[in-house]
Amino acid sequence: MTLTGEFFAFMSLALVAVIGGVLLLNLTKVVHMVVALVFTFVSIAGIYVLLSAEFLAVVQVMIYSGAITIMMLFGIMLTRHHGDEAEPKGGTLRRLFLLVGVLGFGAAVYFGIYDLDFEAVPNTLHENNTEQIGISLFSHYIIPFELTSVILLAALVGAIVLARRDDEKEGDQE
Amino acid sequence: MENAWLIPLFPLVSFLFLLLFGKRLKEASAFVGILATLASLVYSILVLLERLESPTHKAEAVWLTIGNLELTAGFEVNQLNALMLVIVSLVSFLVHTYSKGYMHGDERFPVFYAYLGLFTFAMLGLVISPNLLQTYIFWELVGVGSFLLIGFYFYKESAKAAAKKAFIMTRIGDVGLLIGMILLFWQTGSFEYDEIFAAVEEGAISGTMITLTAILIFIGAVGKSGQFPLHTWLPDAMEGPTPVSALIHAATMVAAGVYLVASLFPLFNASETAMLTVAIIGAFTAIFAASIGLVQNDIKRVLAYSTVSQLGYMMLALGSAGYVAGVFHLMTHAFFKALLFLAAGSVIHAVHTQDIEKMGGLWKKLTFTGPLFLIGTLAISGVPLFSGFFSKDEILIAAWAHGNYGLFWLAVIAAFFTAFYMFRLFFMVFTGEARSEMKNVHESPSVMTLPMLVLAVLAVVAGYVNTPWFGAFLGDWLVEGNEALGHGHIAGPGWIMIVATAVSLLGILLAWMMYSKNSISRDWLSSRAPIAYGVVKNKYYIDEIYNQSVVFATKAISLFLRFIELFVVEGLVKLTTATVQALGKTGAKIQNGQVQTYGTIAFVGLAVLMVIYALTGGYL
Amino acid sequence: MSSVPVSAYLALALILFCIGLYGALTKKNTVIVLISIELMLNAVNINLVTFSKYGANPSITGQVFALFSIAVAAAEVAVGLAILISLYRNRRSVNIDEVNQLKN
Repeated sequence: MTLTGEFFAFMSLALVAVIGGVLLLNLTKVVHMVVALVFTFVSIAGIYVLLSAEFLAVVQVMIYSGAITIMMLFGIMLTRHHGDEAEPKGGTLRRLFLLVGVLGFGAAVYFGIYDLDFEAVPNTLHENNTEQIGISLFSHYIIPFELTSVILLAALVGAIVLARRDDEKEGDQE
Repeated sequence: MENAWLIPLFPLVSFLFLLLFGKRLKEASAFVGILATLASLVYSILVLLERLESPTHKAEAVWLTIGNLELTAGFEVNQLNALMLVIVSLVSFLVHTYSKGYMHGDERFPVFYAYLGLFTFAMLGLVISPNLLQTYIFWELVGVGSFLLIGFYFYKESAKAAAKKAFIMTRIGDVGLLIGMILLFWQTGSFEYDEIFAAVEEGAISGTMITLTAILIFIGAVGKSGQFPLHTWLPDAMEGPTPVSALIHAATMVAAGVYLVASLFPLFNASETAMLTVAIIGAFTAIFAASIGLVQNDIKRVLAYSTVSQLGYMMLALGSAGYVAGVFHLMTHAFFKALLFLAAGSVIHAVHTQDIEKMGGLWKKLTFTGPLFLIGTLAISGVPLFSGFFSKDEILIAAWAHGNYGLFWLAVIAAFFTAFYMFRLFFMVFTGEARSEMKNVHESPSVMTLPMLVLAVLAVVAGYVNTPWFGAFLGDWLVEGNEALGHGHIAGPGWIMIVATAVSLLGILLAWMMYSKNSISRDWLSSRAPIAYGVVKNKYYIDEIYNQSVVFATKAISLFLRFIELFVVEGLVKLTTATVQALGKTGAKIQNGQVQTYGTIAFVGLAVLMVIYALTGGYL
Repeated sequence: MSSVPVSAYLALALILFCIGLYGALTKKNTVIVLISIELMLNAVNINLVTFSKYGANPSITGQVFALFSIAVAAAEVAVGLAILISLYRNRRSVNIDEVNQLKN
């Protein structure tokens, strides 16, 4: 492992991402948590760049850091949050239990991956990345792509139906 | 004769019918039972008449096939079976009729008839079984029927105890029968009577094995027929209603043991030791029970001990190779003992007590029952011209001819005892002055007296089918076509008959002098030998001995086992239940409806699996 | 060729996944639970993209898969928030431990 620019970039991005995650767990105000997570999302976009996925990085910034975070903030603002994240009573045992489980899971997976190394294969992902994705998406994966649009449409309709006000009659949902 | 299997089915139908509709029929259910047994009786008589001329009929169907082995079920009508069918269905029919009067007003009247039907079915099934296995099944069914009927007055503690005692005591014998049966099957590969006899004749079974199986089977008969030492249940069984005593504990079920030995007679006959055992047990029981009967004061108990004693006679006859004598006595005894019991029931019905010390002078009040009882008494005492005289005579001759001289004299003494205690009973109940105030003494209704009349006629004339004077018709017929059963009539010295007559008349005379004329003081003997009197009065303390030995040991063992169960078994059980309960409680607590809890559990489960996989999968 | 080993990317994804999981299963606020789930999805996406570059068979497919996953995640957030709103209208609360309809 040599000290290259790539290494520093990875380390700093990873650090920011993890710190964002830890802040998510430890902050008390909901809005702060969401903002903390924005850091994580942005750092993940950076990681994507390191992995020669520029298009994905842009999508990540737009969708996660942009759309989803804004939606979450709207969700928070539309609901009331008093006494945010006070320690739930009686949940300590469960937390402990879960912590042990998560650590065990992490350890088990880590043992699986820590010396994982594939023979490096030269690739051309970084050249015209967006074009490659576009070609792949509209040739090979055209049917999943169209299905995704159907899912998004269904989600859209579903979200509207669910979030509609109660004073309208519930019978005419279509 | 082809449809003889229908005979047991009539009472079974009656049983099932009364079980279903008895509550609605109330006392009318008597007619169902009476009709069913009447049908059985008529058919049995037809079968018997047909059997007189035609050979044995046997029909079997395969019941179970296990490998090469085929178990069959069916029926067989041979001479003994045909005779038993008539005896059983006749007595059963008469008892059904009699009970209509005796049980009148009882709350569980239909149940009583249902039980009677069940018992009759089992008993009839028993006597037409062609193989040991089927016999055993009906044998146990008979035991169940007897248990239910003895415990009919289950609200009485003593009746409950008596029913249990009868069941357990006979069960001890049944174990012997079962083991003997299994041994026989092991040796011959068949339960069929015919094949077993064929194997015995060919010498396919070793002598010791024959002796062993015969004695084991005899133990079963001992239990059922109330022979010493398993006799104690029979007197206690008198807690049941009196018609039941007449049917089960005099005429039919207790005779099942004798029947079993008789139907396996060729097996017994092949072993000298087994025969001697049967004869000795029989003779000993005869005199032993007769001596107890001398001093009892309960009318039914006297009759019960007399039954035990008479069954001992039958065993003695069979053990002395007197097949005909045994079966003959079985038949006559069924008639006169049933008569005696029914008459006793009539007396009890009239005076509402069973204690003969409180009776007396009933001859004039019970004008019908009295003479009938006298006929029964004369018959059992062996007074000439009555049926008991002929059959008892046959037994004595058989014992003498077989060379069992000691047993012969025992039997003669027992005959003397029998005459004495039966007439003691008669004189105390029917003659002299009433020894206690008795109100409303009335003769029984005709529905009760008519069956007694039929039995009385039979008690007189049944003996004439097999007499030394007019030919041994029954005997010749019984052994026809089967030499293994011995001769139809065994000739014996003529003085035996004279001796038998003499001792019975002597017994009657003594009883008359003691209890009627009072020329000999009643406690003449008891005051001179108080210890002996006490011993006999307490039935030789057999019950007490059993209580102190067998029952005590059983209780000690069971107490010990109870401790083991209490602390070891139940501890384990409690541990198991506690674990399961704790698990269940935790599980219930976890089911709080929150997705996160569920997710946690599921994920931790996954994590555990992964850790286990990581540790054992070998990628560490 | 690369100064950063594959396992480093994977370890980062693992850490983020564990954080997301822990958050999703312990946080009371439903919004945070949803966000934690997004974090877990992101961790998975990192894996996809990593294998797309450094896997045994590098190809563009991993990135396309990540795109699909992002699209589905967006749809999921939309529906999730809609459920949250309607839940809030009925219960006047967004606390997840008050949601126990599974029990009855």
